[in-house]
Amino acid sequence: MSTEVSLNRDLVLDALHDVIDPELGYNIVDLGLIYEVEVGTGIVEITMTMTTPGCPAQDYIMSGVYERCKSLPGVDDARVHLTFLPAWSPRLMTPVAKAHFGIQE
Amino acid sequence: MAVLSNRLSRWTLPMFTCALVNFLAAQGLILAGLTWPAESISTSGTLAAVHLLVIGWLLLLVLGALFQFVPVITSRPLVSQSMALVTLIALETGMVGMVGGFFSIGAGYPTLAMALPLGGLAVCLGVLIACWNIGVPLIRSRPLPLPGRMILTGLAFLILTVTLGFSFALTLAVPVLAPYLAPLLAGVGDHALAGLGGWFTLTAMGVSYKLLPMFMLAPEERGIAGDSVHILGTVGFALAVGAGLARVWSAAGPLRTAELVGYAAVAIAVVLYLWDVAKIYRTRKRTVVEAHNRAAIAAFAFLGLGSALAIGFLMTGHLSVGAPAIVFLIVFGWLGGLGLTQLYKIVPFLTWLSRYGSSLGRGHVPRVQDLVLERRSYPWFALYFLGVLVGALFGLLGSPRGFRACIALVTLATVGLVIEYWRAWRGHYAHLRHGESATPPFLPTQRG
Ligand code: HEM
Repeated sequence: MSTEVSLNRDLVLDALHDVIDPELGYNIVDLGLIYEVEVGTGIVEITMTMTTPGCPAQDYIMSGVYERCKSLPGVDDARVHLTFLPAWSPRLMTPVAKAHFGIQE
Repeated sequence: MAVLSNRLSRWTLPMFTCALVNFLAAQGLILAGLTWPAESISTSGTLAAVHLLVIGWLLLLVLGALFQFVPVITSRPLVSQSMALVTLIALETGMVGMVGGFFSIGAGYPTLAMALPLGGLAVCLGVLIACWNIGVPLIRSRPLPLPGRMILTGLAFLILTVTLGFSFALTLAVPVLAPYLAPLLAGVGDHALAGLGGWFTLTAMGVSYKLLPMFMLAPEERGIAGDSVHILGTVGFALAVGAGLARVWSAAGPLRTAELVGYAAVAIAVVLYLWDVAKIYRTRKRTVVEAHNRAAIAAFAFLGLGSALAIGFLMTGHLSVGAPAIVFLIVFGWLGGLGLTQLYKIVPFLTWLSRYGSSLGRGHVPRVQDLVLERRSYPWFALYFLGVLVGALFGLLGSPRGFRACIALVTLATVGLVIEYWRAWRGHYAHLRHGESATPPFLPTQRG
């Protein structure tokens, strides 16, 4: 049971920092592409978006999220859902990402 | 969850490769002195070079890009990936036939001249298949965003252009048909306007309306300005081309007026578009503008310059004098320039998708920017656009030697850029930055 105790939302988010949006060249968590993380027993459910609908890298990014989650100890399965509601905008970036792109807000 | 790679258009990169080879071949023809402006614009050598450029280079480039791009804006796949290959083969072989046919006509070999209409027929078929391949996802997608609507309009002009071209080809190569079709030849300017304006320019504007905001993180919604560019452009080109063609048969005064109204509408559309593009740059959220979009500013300037010259020559009644330089500015500066600059983004992006994408989530993967070294590209872009600008000037002044010297610079710059695309594709800079591990398949984990 020890693995299930250690598996939590922050751990998943932390791991997802390893997945980048290839075009913006920045991790998807700080870009604000991850909308929801739910952690169940051995299962992680992610709801996420893309910077633009129909992005050609979409399948790779989603599969990257899946792979990264699956590689976490205690995760038997991961489900990645895509939504465009609400649509992504640079406002959803974390302050770190905004600073990286020089976005003032 | 398996990686679905259906978002990658299989034949886009091969089309780009053929396009670039054709572009260099056309420059070779000019350097060899076989075409304009040493010759007047309608000689066979010039017609060969013009079609090597507009079909071999620009048409393959734009259709290759649309095969990748239309599924992105419609979220629907192409009707058929393999039909994209059929388009590539039909356009390339058809174009070679046309070029051979033009030279045969010039050299006085009537039998070989049949290569012109036969090649033209292959080009027409390739175009129709492409229109079906990208038209279906566009028509089925509701509501269709502005870029998609502009591409659909462009496709209609493309069909008109190649149909006119095919009838010209029959006139030139099949003597029995000549008496019936010959008057149409007076519409050659309308064929050129429909192709360079209605098709290429409206399509390039539409595509840029998606790509510029996407890469610079600017608002995508273009509002009234975008719709006006589309409507004025469509009506303007349709009026100018339609009335121009009608004037082949009738000298009625209102037709001339309609044609001029068309040109005016196009001019307003171009000004509005350039203003709107400037606004996209101004309202971007991403502070740093990447090399491809920095260099693209020169291409936009050439659209403005070419259009201004066209209006100037039109108003002074000397359009035919300025036509070679205007066609050159639009083909090399605006369309070709936009093409070369955007390839500097599209090639690394497609490279990333096909080589690195499936490694995402399993370790550290290079970013798209890691595949290029931007400062290497700037001298080539500068040389290219400078060569085009000064070349156009020599063209206007009637100095073939100066013109060819500029084309030599343009060729040097094109080769330089091709080497940079090649390096992106080979993972050259990714390898320099990340060492052995960036040679796909690859990957040590680290955080960026
Ligand atoms: C996107 C496609 C095309 C574009 C942008 C285009 C553009 C042009 C331009 C700018 C000219 C004038 C050049 C000059 O007078 O030197 C021209 C002439 C011509 N084009 Fe095209 N063209 C296209 C496709 C075609 C096709 C598919 C054919 C044949 C099937 C064709 C056949 C011709 C012929 C025969 C002429 C010369 C007519 C004459 O004798 O004055 N074109 N084209």
